Amino acid sequence: MPAYHSTFLEDNERMVGNFVLLPLNTKFRGPAYQANSDYDIIDECLDLFRANSFFKNFEIRSAADRVLIYGILFINRCLSQLKGGMGYVEALKQIQGVAVEDFTLPGTVGFPLNSVYSMPVGDVGQMEMLKGYLQQFRQELGMRLLERVYADSREQPSKFWLAFTRRKFMNKSL
Amino acid sequence: MSYLNNHAVVMDNGTGLTKLGFAGNDSPSWIFPTAIATAQPSNSSGKSTGGGNTSSQSQANTSSGVIGSYFGNSTSATSFNNFASSLLLSNNLAGKRGTEDLDFYIGNEALTAAQGPAYSLSYPIKHGQVENWNHMERFWENSIFKYLRTEPEDHFFLLTEPPLNPPENREQVAEIFFESFNCAGLYIAVQAVLALAASWTSSKVTDRSLTGTVIDSGDGVTHVIPVAEGYVIGSAIKNIPIAGRDITLFIQSLLRERGEVDTSLKTAERIKQEYCYVCPDIVKEFNKFDRDVGKFSQFIIENQGKTQKKIVDVGYERFLAPEIFFNPEIASSDFLTPLPTIVDHTIQACPIDVRKGLYSNIVLSGGSTMFKDFGRRLQRDLRSIVNDRIAQSELLSGTKSTGVDVQVISHRRQRNAVWFGGSLLAQTAEFKSYCHTKRDYEEYGPEIVRNFSLFNML
Repeated sequence: MPAYHSTFLEDNERMVGNFVLLPLNTKFRGPAYQANSDYDIIDECLDLFRANSFFKNFEIRSAADRVLIYGILFINRCLSQLKGGMGYVEALKQIQGVAVEDFTLPGTVGFPLNSVYSMPVGDVGQMEMLKGYLQQFRQELGMRLLERVYADSREQPSKFWLAFTRRKFMNKSL
Repeated sequence: MSYLNNHAVVMDNGTGLTKLGFAGNDSPSWIFPTAIATAQPSNSSGKSTGGGNTSSQSQANTSSGVIGSYFGNSTSATSFNNFASSLLLSNNLAGKRGTEDLDFYIGNEALTAAQGPAYSLSYPIKHGQVENWNHMERFWENSIFKYLRTEPEDHFFLLTEPPLNPPENREQVAEIFFESFNCAGLYIAVQAVLALAASWTSSKVTDRSLTGTVIDSGDGVTHVIPVAEGYVIGSAIKNIPIAGRDITLFIQSLLRERGEVDTSLKTAERIKQEYCYVCPDIVKEFNKFDRDVGKFSQFIIENQGKTQKKIVDVGYERFLAPEIFFNPEIASSDFLTPLPTIVDHTIQACPIDVRKGLYSNIVLSGGSTMFKDFGRRLQRDLRSIVNDRIAQSELLSGTKSTGVDVQVISHRRQRNAVWFGGSLLAQTAEFKSYCHTKRDYEEYGPEIVRNFSLFNML
């Protein structure tokens, strides 16, 4: 059984290059549409993160898988910011900082997985939309990740989550 | 003629562990590492430093009985070495060899003795086959006289061999058992066939056939061995480099990633044995752990005086560790084929008219198949592979298939299945008629053991 794939379909969704802007359940402002169902791509990223972290090979089957890859790599990035004994409030500050920092967009120079993302780099409008979407995606994902990591105690992060910091999905990190 | 009434001796010498006992018993009387510690060839430094260690050994030995001391096991190393050096002076080479031959330990005692400088440890069996016959003979000698404490001339022996063992090795075994030990009779059985016989105790087995696929997973390697009517289909055997030790190492790496207080191999092994199980789907299992905190456990290590306690948390490794059979990718980077796929390939490499029998009787054997629900998961995954193929061929040919029944048998005697199968066969009344006796050996020579008649049990 290979790694787990995204179950979201990209029909009728907005695309930037081969990256699909799936709807999100979020209060953060940005270009994403509001999701119709309770379960969105962010929940899926969080569910599959721990299992997929163990896999080094991943075959992309749909555009949604590209969102999944981005999400899993971002979760790994967030976890590496957390330290044992860090309280929830401090962690939240850290993660929100990471989410809104100046990040490299897929397809542009310096992004680690450019072989799987093909982006209309020249089209400024499209790239702006992608940036806005990813910003929103990162903020919401960081928030919900902390809810899971601090599920048992607000005082310190779960060490079972922190253990995944050293696993590198597809041997890459953001 | 007392051997006619005595129980036969069943010996299963594996690469890692040796199982010893008498036919008719439920479990082996002794299980210990197939290791032998022999005296280092007249080592002058070993004489002085080795004394302390081995004298404590010899004390333990004197209490263990007369037979032990007869075989030189309780001779303390210092006195022995004095004796040896005096012989050295007389330059009597044969005499020197004669005493060194007697100075050795086997099993757990060998592991202890090898910690001192006076002994060197070796494992006479590699990859299931005997590599060092001299060591193996001494290993058997101690097994019989020190552990079983029997007279070989009063007993029949059932020994085991791996599949594809060359007939020359059988002859060698026969020479040792008939000439050195003068045993009453000998039968050498293939391990996989015995594992099949052991599965007859399971309620799922309706007909006692010797057709089936044996999955034998010990510490080092996992073998998939197809057996048709008692004969191993040698060309289709497949090996998988994932077994108990890899699971232990994987648990250790997970414990280290989490920074647990104790990440020794021993701890990892205990966690493997006590907490691990096979789950149907790892994503669902992760979520179960999120919902139910009770799934997390704690493993408590106490030191000998019970004054200190170390607490090791046990988490996702409970289901992730055995998962490496079904998803090798999560632990290794060079071997990626899951166990169910390997089993399917093995059976597909067999003649077409035995395949149904091989699919419907898949038997587990060995310690690393003991995880809870291992059989169920294997059966489910294999069944889906087989059903996919049937659906495909139905689509292509347009005819309806009668279907293939996939059944994985797991039973209570799985851990020592090979030994238990031997015990079952050797307790039957007919067993002795299948053996080659000392008289046959003297009449025809060692080559008679190239062939053994098969058991047809009803």
